[in-house]
Amino acid sequence: MFSQYQTEGFFDEMFSSPEGGSFEHYQEIEKVIASMSDDQLREKQRHTESSFLEQGVTFTVYGDTDSGTERIFPFDLIPRVIPSHEWTQIEDGLTQRIIALNLFLTDIYHEGKILKDKIIPEDVVKSAAHYCKQMENLKVPGDIYIHICGSDLIRDDKGNYLVLEDNGRCPSGASYLLENREAMKRAFPKLYQSLGVRPVGSYPATLRKTLEFLSPRQTGTPVCVLLTPGLYNSAYFEHSFLAKQMGIEIVEGRDLIATDGYVYMRTTRGLVQVDVIYRRVDDHFLDPLEFRKDSLLGVPGIMQAYLKGNVALANAPGTGVADDKVTYAYVPDMIRYYLDQEPILGSVPTFLGWREADRSHILENLESLVVKSANESGGYGMLMGPTSTKKERAEFAEKIKEDPRDFVAQPVVSLSRHPTICPEGVEGRHVDLRPYILYGEDIEIIPGGLTRVALTKGSLVVNSSQGGGSKDTWVL
Amino acid sequence: MLSRVADSLYWLGRYVERAENLARMVEVTRRDALETFINQIREDIWKPVIYATSLSNDLTQEQEDSIKEDPAYYITLAEVNPMSIAACISLARENARTVRDQLSEEMWLELNSINLYMKSGKAARAYQSDPETLFRKIIRFSIIFQGLSQSTIEHDEGWHFSRLGKFIERADKTSRILDTLTFFRGKPSSFSTMAVLRSCSGFTAFRSQYRVETSLRNVVSFLFFSPDFPRSIRFCLRRIDSALLEISGTPQGTYSNEAERLTGSTLAMLNFTGIDQLLEDGLHERIDDIQKRLNEIGQNIFENYVLLPSEIRKVVRTEGLQTSLMQQHQQQ
Repeated sequence: MFSQYQTEGFFDEMFSSPEGGSFEHYQEIEKVIASMSDDQLREKQRHTESSFLEQGVTFTVYGDTDSGTERIFPFDLIPRVIPSHEWTQIEDGLTQRIIALNLFLTDIYHEGKILKDKIIPEDVVKSAAHYCKQMENLKVPGDIYIHICGSDLIRDDKGNYLVLEDNGRCPSGASYLLENREAMKRAFPKLYQSLGVRPVGSYPATLRKTLEFLSPRQTGTPVCVLLTPGLYNSAYFEHSFLAKQMGIEIVEGRDLIATDGYVYMRTTRGLVQVDVIYRRVDDHFLDPLEFRKDSLLGVPGIMQAYLKGNVALANAPGTGVADDKVTYAYVPDMIRYYLDQEPILGSVPTFLGWREADRSHILENLESLVVKSANESGGYGMLMGPTSTKKERAEFAEKIKEDPRDFVAQPVVSLSRHPTICPEGVEGRHVDLRPYILYGEDIEIIPGGLTRVALTKGSLVVNSSQGGGSKDTWVL
Repeated sequence: MLSRVADSLYWLGRYVERAENLARMVEVTRRDALETFINQIREDIWKPVIYATSLSNDLTQEQEDSIKEDPAYYITLAEVNPMSIAACISLARENARTVRDQLSEEMWLELNSINLYMKSGKAARAYQSDPETLFRKIIRFSIIFQGLSQSTIEHDEGWHFSRLGKFIERADKTSRILDTLTFFRGKPSSFSTMAVLRSCSGFTAFRSQYRVETSLRNVVSFLFFSPDFPRSIRFCLRRIDSALLEISGTPQGTYSNEAERLTGSTLAMLNFTGIDQLLEDGLHERIDDIQKRLNEIGQNIFENYVLLPSEIRKVVRTEGLQTSLMQQHQQQ
């Protein structure tokens, strides 16, 4: 099974070197997988994928046709393993980071000390597309803005964990993590049990606790709801899955009504007051009275109710300014500024289009850089320098000159690779890791996360919308 | 319960029931059509069925062509038919998707796999090679789905809403199947009355009750008034009545909203009208009346449980069954 396997000079999650065999924490898994034939493994894989399709564990891809196509998120059976000492470091690093990001948001929406001290230019913050004026001087419960965070981690050629992005708006994927785990428990029950993998099943309960903590009404059980854009949203499966697991209602904008500063849901018994909204709708669509007027997904008047403190939103509006790709470059400084600590997790060196020196560096080195639009997500609007065509580079150069604030560039980090079941047998594919952090009364990080795989040979893009798949992540 | 969820469960119930009824009708008609070699007669066999299963009388040229080519395919799978069996199943699944947390895993699996089957080429191939198996599969799906609904989920408010949808749809379809007898002038043939009974799966039940020839009078009486046959209009109205009262917690024999009052009065009419009176009034006229009442009941359920009082005014009331039905379908 692994006799033909090549690490090809990349950092491999499983094998320490071409000759050296697998890392200690992978030995059990290597034994089990190696004992199976290609066909057996593929058969297991097919079985798992068809059960995903039958259960409707799908996401929707747009672009193919107008209404979108439902697909399963391709799943790879070989699990990614993280030994406990590495996980401790990740946990500490992410905890440090989410505290700093929340302090930053509190600061910029109130006194703006970090701006006055010129650690971060005021311009960068106030010009961010997701800066939300309505949030200025608003006291939010517990000074927490980002309650649910899904930071993307990658490993460089030495195996160091680096933060690639902080997703502080509405990170998705937690449901796939939970479904992947169930699939793995069915596919490899003995192996799973023998390794003592840390369970992830408490995520929905913890998420609910995190939401209830925000309730403005402290009597009785708070009424929490999950606000989805609707059936045709690519992550609808996830929304309905999480709502069901948490035992809360999944609502669409049209199910809610805001009047006199309160939010209600429409039920067969009349209107019921809502306390906490876990919203999976972007800021700009939340309230047509305050943001985009053409939004049909939001609830007119919901912002008014939020500003009055009568309903809680998770995450808070305006968090996008903290996961902006330009702001990203300043997070290490933030950590030093607010916490007086050195960042535990490294980040990727980032060149900013609006800085003149950086911009000329970007334009001269397009071929070796990854260029990203500051406010796009899901792998859209980016240029992969090394694999780009001359025409694409020229187009991007124009765009960068036109709107420098909107672009950042990073050197290509050779993401670590992981053995993955491919048409020609097991081969190395690039992976990242998205852990989920919940910040309520305490900070809790689900042990594991969604390991995303770039299934196309040599590709570094792991997004589900761009041909990515996933693996289960086992923290020991 | 969220109003939208109640609405989706109601339509889920309706579309599953509709798919089953269409499958029954097509299967019976298809077999009868096999018996004839004369094109004109074959067309006459299908005409009333197409009429009973269409939402609108205005057909596009594309639809006309499709019907001419193969009426059974039109009702079953044709993409130009917005209310084909495949479309009903797909709509049922869309409604189910928005309320997945209200269904058991088994119900979802049944619905999702029949939908995948209908959408894949498999259903079209089965239609060509072995249509009987295809229609059986669809009917079996509905029966399994409704059985699972009976036995794997809580019989709570939402369950009553999907039951409402199911029985309103069933009563409507039984009345439409009966109406095929009035499509042509003159006394319907015994051949047609038999087909009506079989489309409602009522042949055995009818025999045990009547033991006589399948006269028009007996068949109409059976499908309108039988207190025990689960596809008779009276039986369905009783179920609608009890589901409505369960939802609002109102005692039997009283009413707390317009849907309940209408149901109660329709049920009383069925309880106290005899077959002679009905035939005297005219079969088609009485069927029309029943369909209007069912439609109004549906509309009132919608206004009472889904819309807010301030929104009711905005809903345009239109006379005419077809237009109003169309609007209800659009309110997904």
